[in-house]
Amino acid sequence: MVKKKIAKVLAFRYKILAAILILLAGGLVLLPKYQKHEGIKPEELLSNTISPERYMTTDRLAHILINQDPSFILIDVRDEKSFASYSLPNAINIPLEKLFDEGSDSYLNQNQFDVVLFSNDNFYADQAWILCNRLGYKHMRVLKGGVNEWYATIINPLKPADNMPVTDFELYATRKAASMFFGVVYPEQVKVEAPVIVKEAPKKVITIEKKKKAEAEGGC
Amino acid sequence: MKELEKTKRISIAATLFILAVIIGLLTYKRPKNIYAINTKDTLEKITSANYFTTLEELKNPEYVLIDVRNQYEFEKGHLENAINIYAPEILSDDNIKVFNELKESNKMAILYGNNPQEPNAPFLILYQLGFDNIKLLAIENSYLQNKLISKNTVVEKSEADITAFINESVKKANATETVKKEVVAPPKKVITIEKKKKAEAEGGC
Repeated sequence: MVKKKIAKVLAFRYKILAAILILLAGGLVLLPKYQKHEGIKPEELLSNTISPERYMTTDRLAHILINQDPSFILIDVRDEKSFASYSLPNAINIPLEKLFDEGSDSYLNQNQFDVVLFSNDNFYADQAWILCNRLGYKHMRVLKGGVNEWYATIINPLKPADNMPVTDFELYATRKAASMFFGVVYPEQVKVEAPVIVKEAPKKVITIEKKKKAEAEGGC
Repeated sequence: MKELEKTKRISIAATLFILAVIIGLLTYKRPKNIYAINTKDTLEKITSANYFTTLEELKNPEYVLIDVRNQYEFEKGHLENAINIYAPEILSDDNIKVFNELKESNKMAILYGNNPQEPNAPFLILYQLGFDNIKLLAIENSYLQNKLISKNTVVEKSEADITAFINESVKKANATETVKKEVVAPPKKVITIEKKKKAEAEGGC
């Protein structure tokens, strides 16, 4: 009899244990709320976005493009229309709205290449960068000033005034050379070239002076 | 008796397990700031919603201006009735409290900096934390005799048609090139005048 009673109490105890476990499992239902908490912490994201590390200057980008560095991918986050009218050489178009579409993931989330995002200025590119950074994508850069800055510095560089330091003139010279690389033709560029074409080594006329024959001296 | 011991052991293990779970739950620290929306939804919202305001719209009494520049610049000059919250400190307890209060009282927080890019990052982070009562002021600041001057600007405006510029430059260069070609002087002909040989003095008597 005693044994039976103990067994009954014990059976009841199991039920209580089971009930507690079910209650705790019920707590899991509340967890999906935190699924939205994907990516890195907001504090970390803030400190990443505040640092200007992600910016790349147009001069640096021009250098990369001219040297045809294969470790960089350019991504244009503007819409298709602006992309069609002008974009940087070899850029890929991923409009901001389609940033997380299926196809673009392979460009953004990888470790092989450095990705340079750009737009007309760096507003949309920054937004794309922040969202990618939250997801922990590495090797992302933003072109500082975007296409507008690209135009102002590389495509149409401003000629420095006469009283500006030598470094400015050097910078202007390299930028001008870069702009020629990207298709701009300067009138003086042709001028420089023209004499080069004409300059055929002038034929030297070597007149061999014949030794004068000793004049026959009249004499008897 | 043997069975009883077995059940005892099981129940001890079970209570220990539950204890561990309870301790885990009690010590679990809730992160201070939690994202309210994931990146995909954020992207959808920022590409569809208009979150820009202009200087003219600031008269709205529901709007509260927030200056995200540093204290020095804020003191140098700021818009009327603006609060200074420096961008890197935007997630501190006090500042989050400010934003929570604004949200509860249904007021719009208008972020601004020296250009529209500056408040972009704080805006986007707060937006992801669930503060949807935030807008950006699209202005550009400059100083004239230590007085702050703000002007409306348009974000992401294309300033120049680069393709047209390149084509134009090519055209111009070609035009000058053809002119140049005409100018090119033909190489001088070298005419060597053969001198008549002097008649040799013939020896003779």
